[in-house]
Amino acid sequence: MKLGVPHNLRLPVAIAALGLLFLGLFLLYPLFNVFSASVLDADGERLTFANYAKILGRPFYRAAIANTLAIGVAATAITTALAVPFAFALARLPVPGKAAILAMAALPLVLPSFVSAYAIVLLLGRSGIVTQWLQSWGLGFGSIYGAGGIILVYTLTLYPYVLLPTIAAFKAVDVSMEEAAQGLGSSPRRTVWTVTLPIVMPAVLAGALLVFIETLENFGVPFVLAEDMPIFAVEAFKLFIGETAPNPASAGVLGVLLILTTALVLLVQRRFLSARRFATNTRQAPPILRIGRPLQVAATIYCWAIVILALVPFFAIVVLSFMEFRGPVLHPNFSLANFGGLFDRSLRPLVNTLVFATLAAACVTLIGVPIGYVVSRWRSGVATLLDVVATLPFAVAGTVLAIGFVVSFNSGPLVLTGGPLILVLAYSVRKVPFAVRSASAIVHQIDASLEEASISLGRSPFQTLMRVVVPLMLGGILSGVVLTWVTVASELSATVVLYSGPWRPMTVVMFQALEGSGAGIATAAASTLIVVTLLPIILLYRLVRRYELSML
Amino acid sequence: MAGIVISGVSRTFGAVRAVDNASLEVGEGEFFTLLGPSGCGKTTLLRMIAGFTELNGGEIRFGSERIDRLPAHVRDIGMVFQNYAVFPNLTVAGNVAYGLRARKVATAEIERRVEEALALVQLTGYGTRWPHQLSGGQLQRVAIARALVIRPRVLLFDEPLSNLDARLRVSMRTEIRDLQKSLGITAIYVTHDQEEAMSVSDRIALMNAGRLEQVGVPVDIYRHPVSRFAAEFMGTTNLVPARMVGRAGDQFVSLRPEALHLASDAPQDWPVLSGTLAHVELLGPIMRLDVKLSDGTVLKAAMLDAPDRSLQAGATISLAYDPARLTVLP
Ligand SMILES: Nc1ncnc2c1ncn2[C@@H]1O[C@H](COP(=O)(O)OP(=O)(O)OP(=O)(O)O)[C@@H](O)[C@H]1O
Ligand SMILES: [Mg+2]
Repeated sequence: MKLGVPHNLRLPVAIAALGLLFLGLFLLYPLFNVFSASVLDADGERLTFANYAKILGRPFYRAAIANTLAIGVAATAITTALAVPFAFALARLPVPGKAAILAMAALPLVLPSFVSAYAIVLLLGRSGIVTQWLQSWGLGFGSIYGAGGIILVYTLTLYPYVLLPTIAAFKAVDVSMEEAAQGLGSSPRRTVWTVTLPIVMPAVLAGALLVFIETLENFGVPFVLAEDMPIFAVEAFKLFIGETAPNPASAGVLGVLLILTTALVLLVQRRFLSARRFATNTRQAPPILRIGRPLQVAATIYCWAIVILALVPFFAIVVLSFMEFRGPVLHPNFSLANFGGLFDRSLRPLVNTLVFATLAAACVTLIGVPIGYVVSRWRSGVATLLDVVATLPFAVAGTVLAIGFVVSFNSGPLVLTGGPLILVLAYSVRKVPFAVRSASAIVHQIDASLEEASISLGRSPFQTLMRVVVPLMLGGILSGVVLTWVTVASELSATVVLYSGPWRPMTVVMFQALEGSGAGIATAAASTLIVVTLLPIILLYRLVRRYELSML
Repeated sequence: MAGIVISGVSRTFGAVRAVDNASLEVGEGEFFTLLGPSGCGKTTLLRMIAGFTELNGGEIRFGSERIDRLPAHVRDIGMVFQNYAVFPNLTVAGNVAYGLRARKVATAEIERRVEEALALVQLTGYGTRWPHQLSGGQLQRVAIARALVIRPRVLLFDEPLSNLDARLRVSMRTEIRDLQKSLGITAIYVTHDQEEAMSVSDRIALMNAGRLEQVGVPVDIYRHPVSRFAAEFMGTTNLVPARMVGRAGDQFVSLRPEALHLASDAPQDWPVLSGTLAHVELLGPIMRLDVKLSDGTVLKAAMLDAPDRSLQAGATISLAYDPARLTVLP
């Protein structure tokens, strides 16, 4: 009866306490510091709203906000418009090669989007290969720098966020409803519009809002493609790097505004998410529709075109990385010089990437899985609070969290800046929501009476967790580890703020090569990143495939 | 092994009084059943004994030891669940051995006791099978073996047969009862099936909306229900105003269908009621009649089928009843 906690609540209470402690220290505390930076004057002493007035008074930053939102809305709309018919074709039309399409369609979620952006520059940029080739024929096209290019890359890399849940929703539509509508005299085409689409709408919206959030937070893509166009996450980064006063007030203001925007979208998204869970209670998949030959050909081309177009940039980067660059200028000869240049100096960045990803994946699993367990098993106010706090990192751009880390752990009792641990912790916090959500989805499917059986047979709740729940979750946990590992390996937005000296991972090498003129090094680094992220997925494809939907 | 003493136990969920001031004593080795309609609090009371639901008030003792503050895993209880709760990642033998491993029993002894337990539930030779290779009835036997093998102080069953088909339900309930009696372990059994409860129990606690309505030997509750609820829940009955059967007061009396006979077959001194036959059905050996009296009341009667009897709906009919089998309800 210690602390008055009933014995059957001690385990969840202990997990919740540890979880909240971790998230309090490495999420809420840094965010609080970002917030207080934004409302204190330059010396960090007096309370003021002058920083907000200053930032919002400058047309440049107002433009940054407007651009980010406009690009986000446009990218979300285009992505959705492309992905919904795609999903319908995969779920209900006779398209050949569905398994291959699905496998390839999930890849953009794990491949680094800034690599895609960089490939677009190399292909379609000012001195891009395709651009020059077209120019030699006297053809030209508009600039891909700025909004156009950013929206293009977002569309190509984020469409799976809408596609995957929408496919699941189309497959979960109860056939009898469609049959009922047709029995009432509705044509098949009309049935799709009036019955099927409204049913899958929650899934579509949930996915679309995820896309929107991603566009708001993304740092790498606009960093590569925006040029002079001010974008939220990039300007926050630049302000922070450039700020000389002890209090990063201006970066704090942008950070707070960015969090508020994403948190707002996330709130809306969570409402739809519960509806989506409801929609995926599949009984029997609806039948493949019979369609005419021309329509089938069109649908097939459509699906394959999107999947392939989205992967072309990554493929191009790999090919280019084996060609000779002299400065930024490409010569079409096979060469290993880029990789020589990348690894000759040191293998350290690659090792850093592998080590950080491994440590972060372990940390995320140790924190996220127990939290997911508690969130799904224990209905109470504390569990809800834990759920909300553990989802919060999702609404926090990596750049902003990293700024909070620097402000919080630069001095005081816990100094982490300058070391490797700060990166691992930042990654862990950023990926916790995914682990929590996937773990709670799996626990949800494990019958609670199995645990009670174990307890009544004499195992304590903790032993029961380890011996009954964890073994039953193993596939899901491993799949989560792989996805965490892969996404951490290509994390850029927090990394560029937090890395230091010898603790540069691969992403930073690429980032630095971009800023300089080392196109060769950049492509080699990008290729390496592609291999590092793709390899585990290919090796463990069957495992990941089964669980990846719940990670969304 | 021990008796169970439940004193003044309560539990509320929000505004719902799931269990309301329940007091019971279950004797050592007794087969005791909690019976009642859905939502009456049977599971809640059982889970409080098992340690999965906190008490708001009252106490529970096994023999002289108070257990309601003990963590569930040290209560030494064998529990059998409605959905079997067999661990899908362990073999049959692994499932049965689970509680022994938790008790750090020596490997050789575990093997011996697992064999023994499997033999008890007629699953000899099934040790290496996986749960997904078993039928529902076999799974429930595994669950029972797993609960028995730890030699628990108390066995708890929460509707263990409700996922099985009707025939298997009947044979398994006898098996469970026989096992319990041969091992002499105190058992509490939850069901909403009145017939099942009557067939297996030494005593029954009839629950209604969180309260104990009546506790007693099955026959006593059946013959002498203390309330309308008890009379109606324990089998079919006719509830008729006392005046109709010549008694004073405005209470109701319960008159079981089988207490009504055709007047021609009944002793002379039994009171007679006449009406028209509204409905007849023959259910194998039993014939059921609905008789509409002149004031509109419909009485249900049941009697054994007899070959020379021919009854037609619409005919006038006289029924006689055994006055000793009237129960006046408060
Ligand atoms: N964890 C809970 N939270 C809220 N209410 C609960 C909870 N458990 C039980 N109840 C409520 O308490 C009452 C009694 O529930 P209980 O499960 O004990 O009934 P039962 O007799 O076992 O019913 P059934 O025959 O349907 O299993 C019900 O009204 C139920 O809704
Ligand atoms: Mg119940």
